[in-house]
Amino acid sequence: MIPEIGHILLIAALVVSFVGSVLPFFDLASKKSYSQSYIKPFSIFLFLLIFFSFLTLIYSFLVDDFSLTYVAENSNTLLPNYFKFAATWGAHEGSLVLWTLCISLWLVAFIYSKKEVDNAFTSVTFGIMSQVIFAFLIFTLLTSNPFERLLPFSPMQGSDLNPSLQDFAFTIHPPLLYMGYSGLALPFSLAVAAMMTNNIESSWARTSRPWSLLSCSFLTLGIGLGSWWAYYELGWGGWWFWDPVENAAFVPWLISIALFHSLIVTEKRGLFKNWSLLLSILSFAASLLGTFLVRSGVLTSVHAFALDPERGLFILGIFAFFIIGSLVIYSLKNYKLSPTSIYDLTSKEFGFLLNNLLLVVLAVSIMFGTLFPILYEAYTQGKQVSVGPPYFNFLIMPFAIGLGLLQGVGLYLGWGQTKNFSFVSRVAIEASVLFIFINIVLYLLFGKFNSSAVIASLLFAWIVAGNFLDIIIRGFQANKLRVFISARLGMIFAHTGIAFLVLGIGVVSSFSSEKELILGPGDSYDLEGYSFKFEEINFQKGPNYSAQVAKINITDQEDTLTLISEKRNYTASNQTTTEAGIIAEVFKDYYVALGENVSNDNWSFRLQIKPFVRWIWFGALLVAIGGFISSLGHLRKGS
Amino acid sequence: MNKIIHTVPLVFFGFLVAFLFFSLGNKNDQLESVLIDQNFPNFSLTTLEDANRIIGKEDIVDLPALVNVWATWCITCKVEHPFLMSLKENSVINIYGLNYKDSRDKALITLEQDGNPFIYSIFDKTGSLAMDLGVYGAPETFLIGADGLIKVRHVGALTPVVWEKKFSMFLK
Repeated sequence: MIPEIGHILLIAALVVSFVGSVLPFFDLASKKSYSQSYIKPFSIFLFLLIFFSFLTLIYSFLVDDFSLTYVAENSNTLLPNYFKFAATWGAHEGSLVLWTLCISLWLVAFIYSKKEVDNAFTSVTFGIMSQVIFAFLIFTLLTSNPFERLLPFSPMQGSDLNPSLQDFAFTIHPPLLYMGYSGLALPFSLAVAAMMTNNIESSWARTSRPWSLLSCSFLTLGIGLGSWWAYYELGWGGWWFWDPVENAAFVPWLISIALFHSLIVTEKRGLFKNWSLLLSILSFAASLLGTFLVRSGVLTSVHAFALDPERGLFILGIFAFFIIGSLVIYSLKNYKLSPTSIYDLTSKEFGFLLNNLLLVVLAVSIMFGTLFPILYEAYTQGKQVSVGPPYFNFLIMPFAIGLGLLQGVGLYLGWGQTKNFSFVSRVAIEASVLFIFINIVLYLLFGKFNSSAVIASLLFAWIVAGNFLDIIIRGFQANKLRVFISARLGMIFAHTGIAFLVLGIGVVSSFSSEKELILGPGDSYDLEGYSFKFEEINFQKGPNYSAQVAKINITDQEDTLTLISEKRNYTASNQTTTEAGIIAEVFKDYYVALGENVSNDNWSFRLQIKPFVRWIWFGALLVAIGGFISSLGHLRKGS
Repeated sequence: MNKIIHTVPLVFFGFLVAFLFFSLGNKNDQLESVLIDQNFPNFSLTTLEDANRIIGKEDIVDLPALVNVWATWCITCKVEHPFLMSLKENSVINIYGLNYKDSRDKALITLEQDGNPFIYSIFDKTGSLAMDLGVYGAPETFLIGADGLIKVRHVGALTPVVWEKKFSMFLK
């Protein structure tokens, strides 16, 4: 009975979103300017319908209602309650409902952030958002209905949630990522509404900017968590694999960064209007394309979603409707550049232009690398090829360097033209000091230099000097430290976060050490001066799995640390997962993954030391915090 | 000039959509195409019920029939089990089991407790026949048509919806 209520709520939401999809356009066509008083109650009503529908689905998981196909395929009576709850979005059907819930939440947040909704711009934005919600709801109901019953042949037991998803980081990773993905629907809707109502003055850019930044921040958190999860759960000690699904999130992230930087120029200078409009469309296109790639089965990836061509066709239809539709409007509306659009090569405008070019070209190249295997297969009649990490690693280097160099001084460029270049020497001196200091530390830690680490530390020093040190120093000199910082707080966080990220990547890819070997109890191995001793292995039982638990002692000169590494077998699905044993320190991680039982008590192990790996996620966290500070600050000021 | 530049993204994405549309069509049947309309592979294994009875392809008789890959460790098999039972009870189609990487005792006890929808099960301890069939894991279900060729392959639980969509048309 409860699932039927959920089903009906979802159908009701479909009807409401349909009405919301057409009403604003009737108003627009009839040019009547009557009150759009329905917008607020409609948004909240739509949100509540989807929310309660989602609650019934969670309820069905919590009470083990295996008469629902979706529950039977993704849960199990033995699954701990917390994971039953999270299993709601553990596979395709439930995650789609979550996606829709996220968009409706964005809609409510947007509508309620506006004091004034009685205008064509807001009402058309509402209309486009409703269309997106409608499209995803009809997709869910027709091809991926989580409320479908397995009657009258209901099983007594379910198949269990994919074991590698039974993990804390994983349970919050999808909601954050979907908030980011679906949030890009808002800048998209705002851009289309701006074009349809011919309202592309700076007020549009001012409205759009915090929202695009906010969704980008959610994407940052989601991607960062996914990376952290892959690191400790997959047992390879890698934190980024250039997997198609990772790329599917990385590309919209890059474009959304380009977008809100471009929006700054549109808001402040009235420039780059066409470009900002296009980026608004592109970022949502990238988000939808990611959804398509993951769920259509066109690309195969470790991120297992049920592959169903019918679904792929449906998402492609949604993609075509919104993206092709908006690009048609875009090509028809052709906004003339304003006459004041003269800016110098030394201007802030030009800095932003370079930033955007680098980000977008990088995003397109990554997308190309991701799609290339399909292209190749189509042209060679079925020969297969894969594009791996070497391509992407090689590709990203020059872009990262270009963006980092720009980021260090972008702040000091003047609008129109930069007159005073004294900042160059200032930042250069501060950066040099920092650079030398870091390299001394790195040398003391690792006893050698490495070119990628040197490049990364150079970028780190340059970015931190320009975006943090110099602000502090000047603020201190002017005796206005508080003012200097608070005006730029979000940016300081986000930009230094990028610096930490870059340094972490540079160091961990240069100075990691790894050894695969077989150890028996009592054996030990020296890796980089640390002795890894395999003490013992025990059999343990968890709620829905059994585990081999190995104890390893790591000794350097003085201290001994104990680390537990597990291999779990989840009984319901007979699947094995690795729970790597990790000791995390500021400067390095000790990482031990338990492999196979070779003979008797001899086990294969992968021992790793990963220096600075934490800095990557710490950096990502700073970026996200900065994004939240800045976007929420703008939202509070604006509206 | 400006007008032309403004249609570039449209043209680009138009091509992208067309391209993805066609690659979607290409990809659909790939998983199954290897096996569809091929003969069921030869094998020589014992039955689950009788360790001394050696059977082969010619022992799958009374076509069309289903071959269902199952195991006691596979919980999704328990999900589809009631539906298999109903197929048997309503004499919709003959079902042969392919017991996959399992223990004989456990499998027999399970069948006794839950009911046995199979005429008999092929006992494939090492997964050799499953390998020839390209089985990913349990459960999978194959439909062998009246002409002895494999008509359908389904990965995952067999449900009434899947039955309607993929299988039922071959029985008319």
